[in-house]
Amino acid sequence: MNRSRIAGAMTGFAVALFCPERPALAEGVILSITGRIEGESARFTRAELEAFEQHSLQTSTSVTDGVREFEGFLMRDLMAAVGATGDSVEALALNGYQIAIPIADFERFDVLGALSMDGARLSPRDKGPIWIVYPRDAHLELDDIRYDMRWVWQLQALDVR
Amino acid sequence: MSSADMPIVPDRPARLSLYGPFLPLLLVCLGPLAFALAQTSALERDMRIAATENMLWVVTQTQMESLSLTAAAAASDQTEAAVDHRYDMTLARLNLLQQGPQQRYMQKLGYADEIAEMSSRMRALDPQMHGHGPEQHAALYRAGVDMQPLLNRIANEVMTTEWIAASERLDDYRAVQRMVIVAVAFALLGALAMSWVLLRNQRELHRAELVALRAERLHALLEKERGTSAWYRDFAAMVSHQMRTPLTLIDSAMHRLARKGKAVTAADIAERQAVVRDAVGRLTRLVDAALLAGRLDNGQLVADTVAQPVRSLAQQAIDEMRARHPDRRIALSEGEAGLAADCDALLVGHVLGNLLSNALKYSAADSPVELRIFAQGNRVALAVTDRGAGIAPEDQPRVFERYYRGQGSETGTGTGLGLALAHDLARLQGGDVTMETWVGKGSVFTLWLPRAALREENE
Repeated sequence: MNRSRIAGAMTGFAVALFCPERPALAEGVILSITGRIEGESARFTRAELEAFEQHSLQTSTSVTDGVREFEGFLMRDLMAAVGATGDSVEALALNGYQIAIPIADFERFDVLGALSMDGARLSPRDKGPIWIVYPRDAHLELDDIRYDMRWVWQLQALDVR
Repeated sequence: MSSADMPIVPDRPARLSLYGPFLPLLLVCLGPLAFALAQTSALERDMRIAATENMLWVVTQTQMESLSLTAAAAASDQTEAAVDHRYDMTLARLNLLQQGPQQRYMQKLGYADEIAEMSSRMRALDPQMHGHGPEQHAALYRAGVDMQPLLNRIANEVMTTEWIAASERLDDYRAVQRMVIVAVAFALLGALAMSWVLLRNQRELHRAELVALRAERLHALLEKERGTSAWYRDFAAMVSHQMRTPLTLIDSAMHRLARKGKAVTAADIAERQAVVRDAVGRLTRLVDAALLAGRLDNGQLVADTVAQPVRSLAQQAIDEMRARHPDRRIALSEGEAGLAADCDALLVGHVLGNLLSNALKYSAADSPVELRIFAQGNRVALAVTDRGAGIAPEDQPRVFERYYRGQGSETGTGTGLGLALAHDLARLQGGDVTMETWVGKGSVFTLWLPRAALREENE
């Protein structure tokens, strides 16, 4: 079998299925926000996200062992900064994962947009650049698959609805 | 054994047998329920979805990302940034497989080493370190293609492992369900048994109450019978004793007259006549009192009370008494003129006659007896005072008891009926008879009657 033919077929397959319309990220921009916010869209570089008041949070996660220390901005601060008026946000990850998160979660809990774990910057090669982290160990109800689903890693875009 | 000795209410050991079964029954009832609760909460914990249950998803995601990378590396029209991105995503998935619970799962299936090997081969081909070139992309393509059979095997094994785990869990659930059903059945049996014990206890208590009630009724009946027979016995004793004296007097009077024969004088006859008349009077009064007491006891005696002046009643009683005892002094005094009472003249006459005759009987022949009328509150008092010996303290509480006669009076002429009857007759008219006594000085017996208002013109 001809390798290039296979590769060609694979490419078409990949383009058709595995590469959905990925928002083109401007240089340095790691998060873009659209939907019901002030202005059409908002874009944030890492430096801009680090300029938010940084909070740290110690918690265990469902995919790692032990208690990890996360550092980043509060999701509700981000929502306030962009003037979000919707009920939920559709979070989109670099790997195509997509899920709706009620904005009320950000008010009830100190949900973090984590930029680093255990002092190391989160990389797109792991869970970076942004990992939505819930204070799971501080609230018994958060130890639930329905909340685990909202721990979006490799976050790249939010659409407020 | 009298009816009063019958066991009316179950005693202590019987009570224990009534309530004893409750504790074990409660255990039978609550024990299985607690067990069922523990089983179901273990089930709930077991049902919590663990991250490893997403293993199939994690593996297919890894396969998908590596295929995307393979395709991007093989394509000629892909930008370097797109390849970089696909490379990052593939590494992210490989990292996920090598973290925490995912790592342990792979170890369990025996793929941890192969994944580590696959991961380090991919890491060594980092285009951000080695640059993008046809050779680099070809190496990425080969590495990506080589990953597929392994990922396929892992996916198959994960799936079968999950199926087995799901089946085993279903078996566990069924076992728990069976245990819970048995536990609930036991609890139900316990509850039924407890209800039965409760019902049985209630029935037994009810029965005991019935027995007690019946025993009480029997006891009351027996007491009444005893009282009646005692009354007849005492009555017979009193009558035989009291009748003998006047009969003896009559008998001896007749004997004397008979013995004198022709020598009987008119004076002799008059003397004996007086004795006989006196004896017959005593017999008549005795029979009257006995009849009155009998009617009282049978509830046939009804007081015919009328508002009337008490002075005339008192005067009448004193007159009768003076006729019987012409040599005694009986004084009448009034604290207030024109006092009236609601009373039955016949019964008052009987009571006063009794009180006066007692006063005369138990005081010296030369000491006076006084009947004083006065009012106190809404009552009128007729107080008979004597200066006799008084009543001994030990006799005082029983003065108004029927057939009770004081110490040392056994040989006297008392019937033991008089005061008791006087007391009952006073009560029958809404009044009372009370006593005050001082040993060695005398006694006061007072007939109290409800006071009545009489118009002046009736006086």
